[in-house]
Amino acid sequence: MIKIKNIHKKFGKNEVLKGINLHVHPQEVVVVIGPSGSGKSTLLRCVNALEHFHQGEIEVCGITVSPKSKELNELRKKVGMVFQHFHLFPHRTVIDNITLAPIQVLKQSKKEAESKAIALLEKVGLAEKKDVYPSSLSGGQKQRVAIARALAMEPKVMLFDEPTSALDPEMVGEVLAVMKNLAEEGMTMMIVTHEMGFAREVADRVIFMDEGIIMEENVPNVFFEHPQNERAKAFLSKVLL
Amino acid sequence: MDFRWDIVIEYLPLFIDGMKLTLLISLLGVIFGSIWGLLIAFGRMIKNGWLRFPFSLYVNFFRCTPMLVQLLLIHFGVMPLIMSTPNAVISAIVTLTLNSGAYMAEIFRAGIQSIDRGQTEAARSLGMNQIQAMRFVVLPQAIKRMIPPLGNEFITLIKDSSLASVIAAHELLYYGRAPMGHYSRPWEGLLSAAFIYFVICMTLTVIVDKVEKRLKIDD
Repeated sequence: MIKIKNIHKKFGKNEVLKGINLHVHPQEVVVVIGPSGSGKSTLLRCVNALEHFHQGEIEVCGITVSPKSKELNELRKKVGMVFQHFHLFPHRTVIDNITLAPIQVLKQSKKEAESKAIALLEKVGLAEKKDVYPSSLSGGQKQRVAIARALAMEPKVMLFDEPTSALDPEMVGEVLAVMKNLAEEGMTMMIVTHEMGFAREVADRVIFMDEGIIMEENVPNVFFEHPQNERAKAFLSKVLL
Repeated sequence: MDFRWDIVIEYLPLFIDGMKLTLLISLLGVIFGSIWGLLIAFGRMIKNGWLRFPFSLYVNFFRCTPMLVQLLLIHFGVMPLIMSTPNAVISAIVTLTLNSGAYMAEIFRAGIQSIDRGQTEAARSLGMNQIQAMRFVVLPQAIKRMIPPLGNEFITLIKDSSLASVIAAHELLYYGRAPMGHYSRPWEGLLSAAFIYFVICMTLTVIVDKVEKRLKIDD
């Protein structure tokens, strides 16, 4: 589903990704963890070409992204993205946030897009909020709308970039519940997160990154119980108190 | 000081003619200046420094030289190269367009760049192309922030249109100065002109405030 081949990325002289190779299979949930600055968010952003990379190749659903490719919009239609800071469109109501891209990009009729949007809002438990503006929602509600907005494009893959890091603790659960639901329905997902409990419970595979390379990858039980890599051990001892 | 209302009444039809021309010059200046300014703004946002340079130079030239100098250069220098008999009204409109375009470009640029990059990224990640992201996501939010500075710029432009009296365009100040010549009296004509400018600009201020409040609803 996602094939990442030897990706290199620099910010100026600072090389943040130093040759990443990773395959994500259909219906697989891959959780990427690691200390901040390890390059995990950058890797995720490369997958839907929000970040330009300097070397290597990414293939998603048969569409290849190389440093020079032009088919970025085709790729992004198949890849949904959820951001740490939600990035809802503040000038549009909840339902207009969700229907904008289906109407403009997929050329759905307004009616069709709205009925789908309402179904998605029911799925994330926010149907009654359809006509309010994002500013009146809580963080957890905003993120659930953002997930519904991404799903409205009927993506084949969903990327989550620290989806709960900007939330108050009591709102983390509602967002993780929606994501877990999605995973159980068979969505292919790549998730950057600091929620170890969630990683353990929902991930099919855990990737540990540090200093721009993948240091270790394994199924969650093995990774959390018996990490092999020294850095992974040090990281886990700090986050799993 | 005695104020001779009879002079005001005598000149009133001319003041009204002048006001009409002032409004016309200003309105066309605002319309052409906005379109021109938007183009310059996109030029100022080009990433490549070499391609951006002429746009920056343009903006700086018009912001850092007096408008009166620009008006004289255009009327006596540039326009004779284009038309056989330069027309003061056209010269005034051209100058206002070029000058306000530079200021408006900066307002547009600042407004667009003030919108969080995450908004564009969210739009792009949903498959929108750059133009769609600009049109449906960035511009609607940016315009709201541009309204107050644009209102200021429109008011400045109306007042600056009075410079056209120097090249004898028959606008409001041109007639406002006329009684000085005939009667050697400064007050009646100049105060009448000042009063009319004030009414026009106050009206515009009220309109801009209303628009600003209406657009605030969803914040």
